[in-house]
Amino acid sequence: MASSSPYLESDENLEAIISRIEQKSRKIETHLKQSKPVEALKTALEGSPLKTRDERCKSANWIVVHRAMMAIRDIDGMFNSLDPEYYDILMKYLYRGLSTGDRPTCDQCLKIHEKLTEKAGLGCILRSLADTVNTV
Amino acid sequence: MAAQAIHQFAECITCHAWSPDHSMIAFCPNNTEVHIYKFFTDKWEKLHVLSKHDQIVSGIDWSRSSNKIVTVSHDRNSYVWTQEGQDWVPTLVILKLNRAALCVQWSPKENKFAVGSGAKSVCICYYEQENNWWISKIIRKKHESSVTSVAWHPNNIHLATTSTDGKCRVFSTIIKGVDTRGAQAGASADWKFGEQIAQLDLSSTWTFGVRWSPSGKTLAYAGHSSMIYFVDDVEASPAAQNLTLRDLPLRDILFVSEKMAIGVGFDCNPMIFAADETGLWSFVRFLDERKVTPSTSKASQLSEALGKLYGQSKQGTSSDTVEPSKPRGGAHENCITCIVPLRKGSESIVKQFSTSGLDGKIVVWDLENHITIPK
Repeated sequence: MASSSPYLESDENLEAIISRIEQKSRKIETHLKQSKPVEALKTALEGSPLKTRDERCKSANWIVVHRAMMAIRDIDGMFNSLDPEYYDILMKYLYRGLSTGDRPTCDQCLKIHEKLTEKAGLGCILRSLADTVNTV
Repeated sequence: MAAQAIHQFAECITCHAWSPDHSMIAFCPNNTEVHIYKFFTDKWEKLHVLSKHDQIVSGIDWSRSSNKIVTVSHDRNSYVWTQEGQDWVPTLVILKLNRAALCVQWSPKENKFAVGSGAKSVCICYYEQENNWWISKIIRKKHESSVTSVAWHPNNIHLATTSTDGKCRVFSTIIKGVDTRGAQAGASADWKFGEQIAQLDLSSTWTFGVRWSPSGKTLAYAGHSSMIYFVDDVEASPAAQNLTLRDLPLRDILFVSEKMAIGVGFDCNPMIFAADETGLWSFVRFLDERKVTPSTSKASQLSEALGKLYGQSKQGTSSDTVEPSKPRGGAHENCITCIVPLRKGSESIVKQFSTSGLDGKIVVWDLENHITIPK
């Protein structure tokens, strides 16, 4: 499985990133109102600011991903429609969620982690640990 | 079973090498010595113990035509051992390193050998006939961290290196008097010693196990983030393929033919990679068949740990512990760190190879009856 890179250029304007995240947030609310949590999660994960080092952008994107992630009830169903290219970045956000220590967030993250590890294997966890360039 | 023979030699083996006729094996049992064993009728017997190093021997290579063993160690030294009668006589090679030597390989013509070190440098050693000793020339530039593995291109000039700085580099090691006697054709004559020909920045994590394909057209190396990289035509216009692995990272690679490679590492099971007609590489399967046996090994520890992790979120619902992704019961029980080909004569396809690992076992694998090898 060859990897693709749908991520942003690192020297993009930070304000542009923040405004794009705000746009994403509106799209996600629309998806959630239409009871499409998987679409919401996909939108949240797409175009994540992985290469930038700015904490505000990363936190802003995390809030958006968190919103979409917590809305998911059917985890098995989610994996049926989630493309493998999202696995690595989802795993990174799961670890960010686990690091918050917040009980409902951690519960949800653990549930998704179990299924994601089954689907993607230990290599996915390795990549979320080892990748210091593309961080969430 | 693809594993033809399994031998438990020690508690842990750092590296190994075979004699030219494959009758003897030299390995380091995780201490300062190199043990040479020979197979007599039905069992292995220890023939020689080479003890000159003060610290762990991290690399061994046995040359096929000149029958010389080169060893490098964390004690920053290297010895070239030649067989005189029944004994192995060491010759010290002064590498001028201030950090450990990590890996070594004889060049295809066996007139040079390369040593990768923790001093962020690579030593190219060649034999000076007049003074009857080995001289070391150091490539100090470019590497930003330890050099984990080295690999010679078939042209005896280009050397690929991997490093813990995440990059794979190709250097020219052309030495006047060694390489430029007679007609040396091609672009390799344009480069000076130690000049970097190419740098591949595909991995953001440590890289290991760089190898060239038999013709030198393709370069492969493993990244510690469970990835393997195949690069075509590195010197001119590199075209890379990044393969993500499902499981744990690889430590070493072997090209079995132009279109098939074996990767070994923390999964304790050789992985087969093959390229199709268009040159696209993909993972085929694991070589070893595993039995699903419940045992107190790493896998059941992993499933216990995962079970505990997920159990916290289940809150009383019956916890079906997650099945481990790979059952145990294979040839190796711990990480495989070294893979060596067993070529018969001048065959270009490798039909047998051996692996050694942290479990102290050396396993000989046979490919011929288990998979068709594309040329």
